[in-house]
Amino acid sequence: MLKMNNISKIYQTEMVQTHALRDFTLQVDEGEFIAVTGPSGSGKTTFLNIAGMLEPFSEGEYLLDGIDVGKLNDNQRADVRNQKIGFIFQGFNLIPDLNLYENIEVPLRYRGIKASERKRRIEQCLEQVGLASRAKHLPQQLSGGQQQRVAIARALAGEPRFLLADEPTGNLDSLMARQVMELLEQINRDGATIVMVTHDPELARRAPRNIQVVDGQLADFTLYQGAQTIKSAAGA
Amino acid sequence: MLEIKPIFHALCRSKVGAILLLIQIAITTAIVSNAAFIIQDRIAFLNQETGYPEQDLFKFNVMTFGKDVDLSQQFELDEAMIRALPGVESAAQSSSIPLSGSGSASSFNLKPAPQESKSVRTAYFFIDEHGLDTYGVKLIAGRNFSEDEVLITNSPTDRTTNVTVVTKALANELFSEGDALGKTIYFGDLPLKIIGITAPMKGPWLKDSHPNNVALIPYIQAKTYAQFAVRTKPGQRDAVMKDIESLMLKNYNKRVINNIKGLDQLKDQYMAADKLMMRMLIVLITILVLVTALGIFGLTLFNISKRTKQIGTRRALGARKSAIINYFLVENALICSMGLVLGGICALLLGQLLMQHFSIAALPPSYIATTAIMVLIMSLLAVLGPAKRAANISPSIATRTI
Amino acid sequence: MLLHYLDLSWRSFKRTPLVSALMVLAIAIGIGVTMTSLSVYHMMSADPIPHKSSQLYTVQLQTMDEGHTWWTGDDIPMQLTYQDAENLYNAPIPDKKVAMMRTGFSVYLDSDKVKPFISNARMTTPDFFSMFDVSFQYGGAWSQQQEQSAAPVVVISKELNDKLFAGESSIGKLIYLDDDSYQVVGVLADWPLNLKYYDLNNGAFNKVEDLFLPFSLIKAKELTSWGNSNGWKHEDTRNFADRLQSEQVWIQFWAQLDTAEQKLAYGNYLISYIEEQKKRGRFTREIPQYSLRDVNQWMEYNNVVSEDNKILVGLSFMFLAVCLANILGLLLAKFLRRAPEVGVRRALGASKRQVFLQHLVEVAMLGFIGGLLGIILAQIGLLGVRQSYDYYANLATMDLTMLLSAPVIAISTCIIAGLYPAWLVCKTNPAIYLKSQ
Repeated sequence: MLKMNNISKIYQTEMVQTHALRDFTLQVDEGEFIAVTGPSGSGKTTFLNIAGMLEPFSEGEYLLDGIDVGKLNDNQRADVRNQKIGFIFQGFNLIPDLNLYENIEVPLRYRGIKASERKRRIEQCLEQVGLASRAKHLPQQLSGGQQQRVAIARALAGEPRFLLADEPTGNLDSLMARQVMELLEQINRDGATIVMVTHDPELARRAPRNIQVVDGQLADFTLYQGAQTIKSAAGA
Repeated sequence: MLEIKPIFHALCRSKVGAILLLIQIAITTAIVSNAAFIIQDRIAFLNQETGYPEQDLFKFNVMTFGKDVDLSQQFELDEAMIRALPGVESAAQSSSIPLSGSGSASSFNLKPAPQESKSVRTAYFFIDEHGLDTYGVKLIAGRNFSEDEVLITNSPTDRTTNVTVVTKALANELFSEGDALGKTIYFGDLPLKIIGITAPMKGPWLKDSHPNNVALIPYIQAKTYAQFAVRTKPGQRDAVMKDIESLMLKNYNKRVINNIKGLDQLKDQYMAADKLMMRMLIVLITILVLVTALGIFGLTLFNISKRTKQIGTRRALGARKSAIINYFLVENALICSMGLVLGGICALLLGQLLMQHFSIAALPPSYIATTAIMVLIMSLLAVLGPAKRAANISPSIATRTI
Repeated sequence: MLLHYLDLSWRSFKRTPLVSALMVLAIAIGIGVTMTSLSVYHMMSADPIPHKSSQLYTVQLQTMDEGHTWWTGDDIPMQLTYQDAENLYNAPIPDKKVAMMRTGFSVYLDSDKVKPFISNARMTTPDFFSMFDVSFQYGGAWSQQQEQSAAPVVVISKELNDKLFAGESSIGKLIYLDDDSYQVVGVLADWPLNLKYYDLNNGAFNKVEDLFLPFSLIKAKELTSWGNSNGWKHEDTRNFADRLQSEQVWIQFWAQLDTAEQKLAYGNYLISYIEEQKKRGRFTREIPQYSLRDVNQWMEYNNVVSEDNKILVGLSFMFLAVCLANILGLLLAKFLRRAPEVGVRRALGASKRQVFLQHLVEVAMLGFIGGLLGIILAQIGLLGVRQSYDYYANLATMDLTMLLSAPVIAISTCIIAGLYPAWLVCKTNPAIYLKSQ
């Protein structure tokens, strides 16, 4: 599904060169649920941006679903984002001027889906996140957890095969965080590949596979995976 | 890809900014369409055909204070001298000068006063047989005065002249088309037979109610205050004008020669206020359109900075750059077209108001339509820059907190 | 506190320089355009003789037969016939009155030093100078007795005295006007009159005349008017005597009426005059009609302020409204973006009123800067007007009133524009902005 080979990202300022990512190599298979952790400033967000094609990379090769991302132009990247990737942001990033229905409609419109089909999908997604009755509400009329569920609905509406979640529970209290997490797990079971960036080890442990980014490089992740196995063994 | 409905909804939720823009566009449309109409009106007035070769004509005044000379004889000598000058085509004493803003007018009637009859306001020039040639105006029917039809007198009581040459406009107003030649009209109780009809020529006042009605009457009364008109060969006017004062004073020096002015100068003087109005209106609407464009530009910039995150999110969700540009263009076009509808109504009302209180004709709707199209284009151009800037917002903004 | 607000305003200005500059530019352009047309309007409509304008009345009589119309609003001719002017001048009331006419002469001296030239002249009665507040540099007006006897005397302007006599006192000297000699009895002090209100017939903004001579000389020397002569019926006027007796109107007439009683008494006198003339076969209308208009009414009646100028003033204010909407939009955007900061201020104890005032001070400052810039733009605009039309040379300027009103209009416009955004900002709930971010 996702294959990064020796990806480097260098931020160039007048004074210094910062290596945000260095020879970053990662492969994610179809249907996986991966949690990416790491201290702040480690390159987590850069990894997420590159994975989501929100940012170009300096060196290396990145294949998404067999497509060589480095060779795409801006419009093609936009289309790939639209069709293959669903985003869930930490700040929800709902558009304040639009109601829930219209917010979810945004990516569908960019894809050029017919109005009737849009309606069907939006209603289905709102149902899925349990907000069907609030379709006409504006984002600021909802709680944080509800807003994040709308954001998830928006990500799902496009029926993406690849879901990128950036601290999806970062702005939520633990109860709501758990609800959102359960939702993600449900989505993963339905077949979507999920890459979740988080700094919360608790949350990360719930994902089947953990990787850690330190200083822009992939750190030893088996440790976490080992711990996971031990934990689940103990639990069982 | 148009997405009017959600844009419209989004607009409705941030009304005030949109309404302000709408008001600006409406007032701008109202002002520009009315001002453009007035400008157009003035341009037509300024560029009107007067019937004279203005570049080759000039006039001067003679104010005689010496009492030791027979004025009519002196003027005959002066005219002969001027006509003999190299570069001069013709010259004549003329009781008033066309386009100058000063002259005489009276009503000309079909029956002698005090009988009641059809009466038409007419500017009249007392002038001799050289008049038509001097003013460079062609006869289109009949004939010019002959030398012996011209009455030259020092005595104001003589009144034996009985012919006139009139403009086609006057002839047609007094008589049915083509019927005027040979008919008699009355200047007070003085009968004048129409012996010639001229091509269009304007009287002294371009803003008169009847600027095209002119009658030439072959009558020269030598007065201490007299005006002369001179037509030169093309390009030679300046040279003749420069020398005319000294030449006239050489002939006889107990007089003052002044007000030596080209006919085009006289016209410019007469029209200066209209030219000023036209210029001021042009400046006004140019600046106005600029201010409105700047306003749209500024407001769009601000909206974009307010919506940076939103734009990044849209890009992350798969919007192409063109979709972002389109979003702002459509949003602006929506506000603009509502503003234009309102502006069209305001323009009509303003036009009505101007027509009621001032001497301005009704505003033709075509001016509103043209203005509306221009304003729309202007506003889209004003948005294009900021919209392109918005399209360049990186989608990675979406993952940034704050 | 005000200083603190000003300091905050200046910081805010610097924080968003582009938008602030746009706002200042918008108000400056609005003020520039408005002030340009308003200044011309102001100068055109300014009372030319403020302390006396309500005591000076121009006299109009309805001399025309029933059914004849004039182009004035009330169909009364603007000027008087010579005979009416003469009769009214010789009437017992009021004390001060003036009959006059514009003409011109060729002027020269008894030497070859000055080439003969043409000057405008006003034939008038001696009260002209005291009535219209004209002061003398040398000498004074001619006497009533000289007026009665059509004495060849003349009062000349300062400018003419400078030209002919190099500014020396010329009292008693002779000048030649059209081959006759006249004795100078007075030289006017500088009389900078922008608006020739006493005779509006031939251009209200022309220069005042250089020569002033006894009105009685018109008859004695058979002088013709250089102003307007208008007739309304056919008359066989073959010589000058006919003209003096004709119904043509060509004389301006003013009366000084200091009190309402005087005005009333004079009105009654005019009615009785018309009745008396009726017996001689003149003034055939059923209802006698006259009109007394003071200086300002007379200017209004004569449409001294041109139609064009009124339109321009109207359009300029609409222009200012566009600028206002423009600024309002930008202010709204600017202030609302600052709402979080205001939230902090409110949480730290700023009252709504203080927040409101802070923002109003900020817009007032924008208005002030814009107003000053607007004055500069208006000066450029007025320069353009003067260049384009020298007839307006004395009018297209800003006097002190206009200079002061520019920032006042600018600041008030900005405050009007700022009220709503400032109110919106100060009513924001601080809690909202403190929670998130």
